[in-house]
Amino acid sequence: MANEKVDIVIIGAGASGSVYASVLAKAGKKVVLLDSGPDWQLADLISSEIWGRRVKPAGAPILLEGKNPMAYAAQGGWGVGGAALHYFANFPRLLPTDFRMKSEHGRGNDWPISYEDVAPFYDKVAREIGVSGDAKAEEKWRPAGEPYPMPPMKTFRNGDIWLKGFDAVGIPLVPAPVGMNSVEFKGRPACLYDGWCHVGCPIGALANPQITYLGEARKAGAEVRPWSTATRVLTNPAGTRVTGIEYYDEKHQKQTQEASVVLLAAWSAQNPRLLLNSATDKHPKGLGNASGLVGHYMMSHHVANTWAMFDEDTQNHMGTIAVQYMSYERYPKTSHPGTFGSSFVTAGFAVKTSDLANSRNDLFGPELADYMKRAARHLAGIKTFGEEQPTMENRLELASEKDEFGMPLARLTHSFDQDAVALWNANLEEGLKVAKASGAKEAWSARGAIPTSHLLGGTIMGTSAENSVVDSYGQSHEIPNLWVAGPGIFPTEGASNPTFTIFALSQRGAERMASQWGSLTN
Amino acid sequence: MAIGRRGFVKGATLGALAFTVGGVEVLIAPREARARNVPFRLLDAHQGETLEALGETLVPQARDAGIAHYIDQQLSVPPHESLLQARIFNFRPPFADFYRTAIATIDDSSRKMFGRDFALLSGADQHDFVDRMRQSKIEGWTGRPGAAVYAVLRADAVDVVWGTMEGYEALGIPYMPHIPPEKRW
Repeated sequence: MANEKVDIVIIGAGASGSVYASVLAKAGKKVVLLDSGPDWQLADLISSEIWGRRVKPAGAPILLEGKNPMAYAAQGGWGVGGAALHYFANFPRLLPTDFRMKSEHGRGNDWPISYEDVAPFYDKVAREIGVSGDAKAEEKWRPAGEPYPMPPMKTFRNGDIWLKGFDAVGIPLVPAPVGMNSVEFKGRPACLYDGWCHVGCPIGALANPQITYLGEARKAGAEVRPWSTATRVLTNPAGTRVTGIEYYDEKHQKQTQEASVVLLAAWSAQNPRLLLNSATDKHPKGLGNASGLVGHYMMSHHVANTWAMFDEDTQNHMGTIAVQYMSYERYPKTSHPGTFGSSFVTAGFAVKTSDLANSRNDLFGPELADYMKRAARHLAGIKTFGEEQPTMENRLELASEKDEFGMPLARLTHSFDQDAVALWNANLEEGLKVAKASGAKEAWSARGAIPTSHLLGGTIMGTSAENSVVDSYGQSHEIPNLWVAGPGIFPTEGASNPTFTIFALSQRGAERMASQWGSLTN
Repeated sequence: MAIGRRGFVKGATLGALAFTVGGVEVLIAPREARARNVPFRLLDAHQGETLEALGETLVPQARDAGIAHYIDQQLSVPPHESLLQARIFNFRPPFADFYRTAIATIDDSSRKMFGRDFALLSGADQHDFVDRMRQSKIEGWTGRPGAAVYAVLRADAVDVVWGTMEGYEALGIPYMPHIPPEKRW
């Protein structure tokens, strides 16, 4: 079934797609967003970790392999709002060194742009959706920018308790920037510090797309079609332009949505899956894949979790799931001798009962019950996010098995290399030193399987089709009216949580698309 | 925009699970479903008994909290409605395959080690078995590693015992919901 042609069809109504929808709809373009899940409303966001699973991917379109399989379902989103419906809203930015990895260290990739190209968009996003933090305090590590529109969030003992220990090991902490309201902002209320952010904030204190960019996009006329699963990007016979999207609707009826421009914004795994599944005789390796790089350079952050018990009440039920303190002190790529990569240090966050249990996943039975009672009052944690280098081996490919729509499943292979493992270990060792210096009664590292966080790469940006899939705006090198957005276009990942950069790059790309519209549609 | 303060927003009617009692669907918590001896939808009696024994070994009170009824009811709903940890572990639906296979593997290993099914072991032997499973140290084990089975079943047990409003109360933790689940589980 064919639908009336629109200006732009966007696959995925999450962080990146919502920004494009807002910018383009406000520019007068006819916008349709397709999302494979439901159109969640704020009233759906029940404060419960059990019920919160409804906003996560279900099923297994992505088969996970490798030594360190990606925590795909835990990280991903399902439905309108995407993963940003339940994200932690930590808003650190990348630093200038991240954009020059190859030039400075002969490792990984250079970005085709610099920090200075993105910086104005960080500030713009902060003004648009609201960020709480202390920009001046961060500027000891990064170039100056605009102050954040809101003061830092409140802190609690589960964060403050770490200050002495970090100071002792020479790591200064500053208030963490977050996409949450420390005070009322644009009619949205201040945070209540109940720690339910990760199952979706129903009061609007957390900047999820439903109440920010998507809300604006809808007001400007954008149409959101939930329960719409894209399966192929369509092209003209010559293969020189994309013409629309094939998708299946809620009744599993095949539909076609023609559009002048197609934007893939369905996260780092589904975007390459779609491109690979859209192969034609003119593009036998998949769309935009002359480089053979579609699906490669998949990246994730490793997370070093350190837990500690203190004599005093850590108030660990209070706060947000975002962190209270952060530091770039270990961000330089060679901060830890014998390792390589940036580390982003964080401390202080609210925990729920599953976190308490997972902090000692070796315990069960009566020992676990005893531990839970103590941990409920006395546990606190720190997390250090670590960078891995992009490699061709970490990749997404189409599998032979198919989903209910006949689309091949994807196989995502991910393993941390020796540098990443060494950095993770170094961060764990430093975490124990911090805990000891903080006066912890007992402290331990969360060893075992290396936790993965975030998913990046697969459609990286670069200077040409020789070395990348898209340019710095997300425009395909090969097909001018095919664009890609989201963390998949990052050519390196840094160690910072990526969503602030996703918003900033999407704002930059969307403004570029709007300004170049005539050349895209001719 | 629907903005409310804590608890002011009335929760959707999604906080309880649908169980079939006397041919009629009613919304009740798994604890009540067990207490009322609600028939399982997909599990057989032995599978339910085994899940209860495993749950109780992993987290005390999981049996009474209705772990088997919770899992059984959740196996009966479409994957995209599932609340099971198997979803977060990225298992491929139907999730019933995981539980049935795990129960069969556990019983098979239990018979080899102790001469009887897991549910019939003494508490000490059940604890010993689970501890070996946790470390993937059971000889002849097939399918997903023991550590993975341990992780999923333990997480399910944590859910029914401590993931509910009642569970928070038992630990002395303020629940502080924005939108409370309709039932306190």
